[in-house]
Amino acid sequence: MSRSVEEKKPAVKLEHVTKKIGGKTIIDDLSFEIYKGEVFGFLGPNGAGKTTTIRMLVGLMKMTKGNIFIQGHSIKGEFKEAIRQVGAIVENPEMYKFLTGYQNLKHYARMIPGIDKKRIDEVVKLVELEERINEKVKRYSLGMRQRLGVAQAMLHRPSVLILDEPTNGLDPQGIHDLRNYLHELAYKEGVAVIVSSHLLSEMQLMCDRIGIIQKGKLLGVESVNDFVHQGGEKVRLTVDDGAMAAKVIHQKLAMESASIETETIEIEAGREKVPVIIDTLVHANVKIYEVVSVTQSLEDRFLEVTGGKALV
Amino acid sequence: MLIILLGLLLVGALITKLNTPEPKADSQWKQHLAQENQGMQQNLNQMKGNDAYANYLKSEIAINQYRIDHNLEPAQGTTLWSFVEDSTSIMILVISIFTIIVVSTSIASEFNTGTIKLLLIRPIYRTEILLSKYIAALLFALLSLVVLFLFSWLIGGIFFGFGGADEVHLSYIGGEVQETSWTLAIWKEYLLHGASLCMMVTLAGVIASLFRNGGLSIGLTIFLLMGSNTILTLISKYEWVKYVLFANLDLTQYDNGTQLREDMSLGFSLGVLAVYYVIFVICGWLFFTKRDVKA
Repeated sequence: MSRSVEEKKPAVKLEHVTKKIGGKTIIDDLSFEIYKGEVFGFLGPNGAGKTTTIRMLVGLMKMTKGNIFIQGHSIKGEFKEAIRQVGAIVENPEMYKFLTGYQNLKHYARMIPGIDKKRIDEVVKLVELEERINEKVKRYSLGMRQRLGVAQAMLHRPSVLILDEPTNGLDPQGIHDLRNYLHELAYKEGVAVIVSSHLLSEMQLMCDRIGIIQKGKLLGVESVNDFVHQGGEKVRLTVDDGAMAAKVIHQKLAMESASIETETIEIEAGREKVPVIIDTLVHANVKIYEVVSVTQSLEDRFLEVTGGKALV
Repeated sequence: MLIILLGLLLVGALITKLNTPEPKADSQWKQHLAQENQGMQQNLNQMKGNDAYANYLKSEIAINQYRIDHNLEPAQGTTLWSFVEDSTSIMILVISIFTIIVVSTSIASEFNTGTIKLLLIRPIYRTEILLSKYIAALLFALLSLVVLFLFSWLIGGIFFGFGGADEVHLSYIGGEVQETSWTLAIWKEYLLHGASLCMMVTLAGVIASLFRNGGLSIGLTIFLLMGSNTILTLISKYEWVKYVLFANLDLTQYDNGTQLREDMSLGFSLGVLAVYYVIFVICGWLFFTKRDVKA
């Protein structure tokens, strides 16, 4: 999963992007870069400005300040060149309900040169809609609309794929398939994929890096692994006397520990420290019943970073 | 929509057919026309000031005289061509309403359904998208006019006999009566009505781009279209009424002597309409291309 992205030139670059609506700052000085061949997760509580940022990325909204470059083309100055590189779903995948899935795709295919019938069929097969593609969209389930939305975004082989809440309405199998498909696109075809989602555990599996946004400000961009592990690995011990154990560890190993319950303590320590800790405690006659290494989930970490703001 | 148009034509033809008694041959039509002319001449002599109406009376007198001189009996009752002519103004109103619905829906409903987002993220400028929607609506209006012409001719023929198809149309041009074709005369009328059609459709487009709400824009434009005459009567005594859009919409006023004010002419109205048109196009374009899409 770890690929060096530093030396590549960015597929998408945001420079000091600011959006003010009626004197209120919705997006405040956002700058980050997304590279070819990675899945970038855009994370934040509701109303944080994720969708506004995505709207500015695809030119639906204008920036008050700053600029966005897609493959080096400014979305402001060279709209056609920039947007040509982008496939996107913004919020819900709203298609023309009175047309069939196929007619919808044909409609979008007409607007970009170089998409033939073969490509439409290919994309339909990719999202596994072959059987229902000639039915009217109003008869589709939310999941099928979502897949048709992905098909629409993929039609012109974009080098940047932006999906707003792509797992919305998909069943577990659908989410699994989408994840595999996005990974394939990113790793094999070098597409830069941007996803926003509320499903944090899903993001953990899907994304390589995540950017966290809150109240229009970027709190940080980190790789998923770093992000999860930055809080430090912890070891949770269940012993006969928690206070005694904490004291011993503090004196002998100079490590801080937090007591969870009277018999349970947590020590901030990596895997390599575990044998030493056990050894020390055994020598100090502390009885050990259980040793568990604790990894923070993205969700815990997210709540920590955003100050425990409720999600979804 | 075109089917509704045809249905209305059929109903109109049926009502006309049932309400008009079988025309009786009028053996003394020359005397009747001469009497009519005398009456109009008297009116003309007594009248002062209203040049437009005077011109209208003059042309009617000259056409009647021409009929007497050339032994061209005026048709009695409804004929194929008079049906086509009579259906013109009401059917073009219907076409206006349909086209207003088409242009409003095509621009605004994409915002209501959210499909506008997927449309605007293609490598196509918003100007091009707006223009193609506008042109499509105008093409729909043109197609409707062609259908109206062909089918009102056909229905008129079926109900009132194709015998009237080679009737000549008399028009008074530059102080002389000339025999012209009915087809030409009808399309001239379509063209005069077309100005109003085009202006209202453009206005509907502007309102749709402004409010991004189909129902509102359809309702508001049709209200203006229907209510304009009432508003005009209320303000017609003021001098500035001649610069009001609705006073200039009906170009047929210069053709049938019912023009609103003496100091207005076809050229003047076209000028005023052109100014409004440019304002509409600029506003519509600004509303559509320069604002954020939040749908």
